[in-house]
Amino acid sequence: MSILTKRLRPRRTVAIAAASVAVAMAAAGCGGGGSGTPGTPGGAAVPGLGGTGVVEQAVYDAAPVAADADIPAGSTMEKIRQRGKLLVGGSLDAPLLAQQDPVSGKVEGFDASLARLLAKYIIGKPEVETVTIGTQTREALLRAKSVDTVFQTYTITPERATQIAFAGPYLTSGLAVAVKKENTTIHGVQDLAGKKVVVGTNTPAVTALPTVAPGSEQVAFATDPQAVQALLQGRGEAYVQDFTLLASNAKVNPGMKVVGQPFTTEPYGIGLNREDPQFKEFVNNWLTKIQADGTWAKVWQATLGTVVEGGAPTPPAIGSAQGS
Amino acid sequence: MNPFSGYLTELGHGLVTTVELTVVTTVAALLLGVVVATLRICPVPLLRTVGLVYVEVLQNLPLLALLVLFVFALPQLGITFPLFTSAAIVIAAYEGAYFAEAIRAGINTVGIGQAEAARAIGLTFSQSLRYVILPQAFRAVIQPMGNISIALLMNTSLAAAVGVVELTQTANNVNLVEAQPLLIFTGAGLAYMLLALVIGLVTGRLERRLAIVR
Repeated sequence: MSILTKRLRPRRTVAIAAASVAVAMAAAGCGGGGSGTPGTPGGAAVPGLGGTGVVEQAVYDAAPVAADADIPAGSTMEKIRQRGKLLVGGSLDAPLLAQQDPVSGKVEGFDASLARLLAKYIIGKPEVETVTIGTQTREALLRAKSVDTVFQTYTITPERATQIAFAGPYLTSGLAVAVKKENTTIHGVQDLAGKKVVVGTNTPAVTALPTVAPGSEQVAFATDPQAVQALLQGRGEAYVQDFTLLASNAKVNPGMKVVGQPFTTEPYGIGLNREDPQFKEFVNNWLTKIQADGTWAKVWQATLGTVVEGGAPTPPAIGSAQGS
Repeated sequence: MNPFSGYLTELGHGLVTTVELTVVTTVAALLLGVVVATLRICPVPLLRTVGLVYVEVLQNLPLLALLVLFVFALPQLGITFPLFTSAAIVIAAYEGAYFAEAIRAGINTVGIGQAEAARAIGLTFSQSLRYVILPQAFRAVIQPMGNISIALLMNTSLAAAVGVVELTQTANNVNLVEAQPLLIFTGAGLAYMLLALVIGLVTGRLERRLAIVR
């Protein structure tokens, strides 16, 4: 066969390709967690203060539904009711906040449950379609009305409030520091100056760190599971992320621990379209209602309450954050 | 309010990282492409198979999957590279497969008589490749290789997903504060477009100067 007229027989090519991919995939699967994204087994009980992290059906059954008088003709609420489901922008990979069970396909967690409760309030049944969105495009999607709401630990900031509207705040959290279990030198954010720190792309940690930890070098990862993996593999000495998220990560990853208390205050709001003050008022009224009747506390207890000590906190006052 | 003012240094750094990653990776991928293309046409059947398997595996796995595997799975085996290096290695390996195929296509355009003549005057396999076949092969596929370089440039943005702070990642960071995704990402997109145009112009010029008109 001449060096220049070698022609491939396609069938053999495909067979070789398929075999080689199989080999590569098998190799990738070795060493456990080869995919680099450890997750909680769906629906498994989270060890800790007890509870499965899933809100009981009874809570949904007892949740309020808006009176017809609250849903005027032509309003966004009426459109959602006509459609029969609420379009929610959110995540599927945040334990205890919004995590999808790969088997049942259900999304469980604090954000996910609240979204379902809002859907019930508007439609009468907790019908939600989760649109998986990145942190990069939340404002764009809300402005384009591709989603009705965003429930995604969405920090209220004045800059964002010029683009979209925030109902709430519905939860207050803050940034905290996690390190590897064996780390004894970092006890809190004060020890991070000049250190390599893992952060999540587009999280408040990116902007907070230069001020609180001067000289720290950031290594950003796209998703929370990746960031956890990066911390455990020593790509940074600490991981700065929302306290609740870190707490749930620490529960399922014995190799890491949370050190110190949250060092910022992050008010989380429900992202809405800015041109629709009527809808914002409606959502705020619903928040006030579920806070008053104890539904909010039940949801918190069943989700975040399984990893945070002490009972349910007092929910933040509606409109108390700059930009809400 | 202009979301770019005040972030120009940061965005500049991101752009520089993107350019660095593109240049380093293109050079490495090109060298790798020559090696793999040579393997695919060499007289030794085993080496031909090695080249074939390499190309088929690399072309049939998504780049993002390769990046994630390389960055997160290798440390499980105790091998950890810096993030920029990791991204450069993976993108070079991936694009090398594409370069190899382009170069092989170029080799196939060289007339069989050329190879026979080279052998007739006593050149070895490597000599005939180096002095006769490859120079002509390259000239035939300048434009396709330019296209692969442009694809490579776009693919560097995937490095953002594994922690490399390049242009896309920087745009993300700026957007986090300013919450103006359409404006910021359009700006970043324009920067990518300009870089791609530069590559296109360079290859176009090379093409005009070097192409063999048959």
